[in-house]
Amino acid sequence: MPIVEARGLTKVFRRPDKGSGLAGSVKHLFARRYSDKVAVDHVDLSIEAGEAVAYVGPNGAGKSTTVKLLSGILVPTAGEVRIDGLHPQRDRTTVAYRIGVLFGQRTQLWWDLPVSESLAVLRDIYGVDHATYRKRLARFDEVLELGEILPVIGRKLSLGQRMRADLAAALIHGPQVVYLDEPTIGLDLAVKDRVREFFRSLRDEGVTVMLTSHDLADIEGFCRRLVIIDEGRIIFDGDLEAVKDQFARERILHVETERPVPLETLEASLPGAEIKIEETSLRYAVRFDRFAMTAGQVVTVLATLTELVDFRVDEPSIEDVIRRVYSGDLVLPR
Amino acid sequence: MRTARLYLRLLGAHFRSMMEYETDFLILAGATVLMQVVNVVFLSALFAKVPVLNGWTFWSVLMMFGAVALAEGVGSLFFDGMWNLAWHINRGELDYYLVRPYPVALQVSSAALGINGLSNIVTGGLMIGAGLAHSAVEWTPWRIALGVLLLISSVVIKLSINLATNAVCFWLNSPSPMFAFAMHQVGDLARFPLSIYPFALKAVLGVVLPFAFISFFPIAYLLDTGSSQWVGLLTPLVAVYCAGMAALVFRRGLRRYESAGN
Repeated sequence: MPIVEARGLTKVFRRPDKGSGLAGSVKHLFARRYSDKVAVDHVDLSIEAGEAVAYVGPNGAGKSTTVKLLSGILVPTAGEVRIDGLHPQRDRTTVAYRIGVLFGQRTQLWWDLPVSESLAVLRDIYGVDHATYRKRLARFDEVLELGEILPVIGRKLSLGQRMRADLAAALIHGPQVVYLDEPTIGLDLAVKDRVREFFRSLRDEGVTVMLTSHDLADIEGFCRRLVIIDEGRIIFDGDLEAVKDQFARERILHVETERPVPLETLEASLPGAEIKIEETSLRYAVRFDRFAMTAGQVVTVLATLTELVDFRVDEPSIEDVIRRVYSGDLVLPR
Repeated sequence: MRTARLYLRLLGAHFRSMMEYETDFLILAGATVLMQVVNVVFLSALFAKVPVLNGWTFWSVLMMFGAVALAEGVGSLFFDGMWNLAWHINRGELDYYLVRPYPVALQVSSAALGINGLSNIVTGGLMIGAGLAHSAVEWTPWRIALGVLLLISSVVIKLSINLATNAVCFWLNSPSPMFAFAMHQVGDLARFPLSIYPFALKAVLGVVLPFAFISFFPIAYLLDTGSSQWVGLLTPLVAVYCAGMAALVFRRGLRRYESAGN
């Protein structure tokens, strides 16, 4: 049985239609008009225990709304959600013990309390025993270097510190399902790496993770399953590697040679590849399909023509693929 | 029991942080005491002209003032967070409350601590005490127990009205507790004997928003004043009813919660 299941999940927000400026607001007082905005539109999603799922989409696509529906914060307009077979509103308390939620844009720490005290309050809310609590803190300290920020007052935390503390807060009760909504937003690279490593360790422990992110680097090397949402609808749900195989077949080999080689010679010896001269006549970019030839073959062919000084292979990131999906050049199969 | 212990734990978290703003606390406490002094001065000026108001003396009306102050004081000291509900809704700050295994309404009400409530509790208690000292009530153990029950019920009614009127913000989408505050002002009318008001107002204070059960009815029963004293005995039932209604309104409202866009 899937641990998270959504069927026909729909959320419609009703927004007042106000004209611009004060005049519009006054008019609205007398003639109320509303328009419906469909934030999530018939989403079906089923996540098995232990799965790591990336949930991506452009701004305003309905990512956060889905997370709020799946965690019972919002009541769906239509459709239903089950967490481990439970109803998130009717069984709110039971569900609360099983899920952990992090909204990267919002903290759950107490503003005027040191981090250690915020975590202790949460420990008491969830009724975590002291031994388990200490064990979890020690683990968070290992990966997130939590120790150094425990005495810091909530309002004095830097963004990176805040996110590390919030991650600990979301996981202090050892939830089975974790929703991470933009968990790396605004972090510097070093902290991002540490946080990503932490996600991997969660996944390896068998925690079910749903990760929503703008930063596609969060996803690579973490999730096997990719779900793309756009305008409230799921436009792709499938294997991340398969997407890359299908839509990111292209590789670019950047090579620097000892002596210049005429472009025609190169093209003649590498049929099917597209070759460009980069800044100097000694540097070339060879674009090829990785199913037609391997990088090794390309290098071998080039080495017969001239001495190679240096080379490097670029593979397109999932970011490029998803960017193309958003912009509409790529239509993914459902 | 666990719920109550956790409640104090949550409040305590705010007590610590509040102590960082000591001056605020002193100013508020002073202002509250001053307000109550003004109330008493006003009352004595009034009763200097009219010695008895529909059968109610200065001391019995003082007791009603005291009961309202006490209920308000408990509300501010232990449940002040309710007044921030509108703001929380508007800013979408209930998100994390909704995913914790603790009643959302209690997380909201414990999220602030109005230390000025303490001065209201003290002055309210003094007013009730002074009123009782000047009354001719014969105190039997049964009557004392009943008095305590009525007092607790009175506080529960005040808290329930606070919660329900604040929860109206789930429908109003206003960032400030204007509606609840306006109703709170209406509640001030309950400091005078209900019998002096016209019928419509009696209906409002007795039935729609039963502020009269915070002070008038229970005290009329205790002091044996007025014509329908038995109504005071209904106070605990009214308290149970109000608490149930407030919980219902809150739960209904929560279903309308829309959070806020990120």
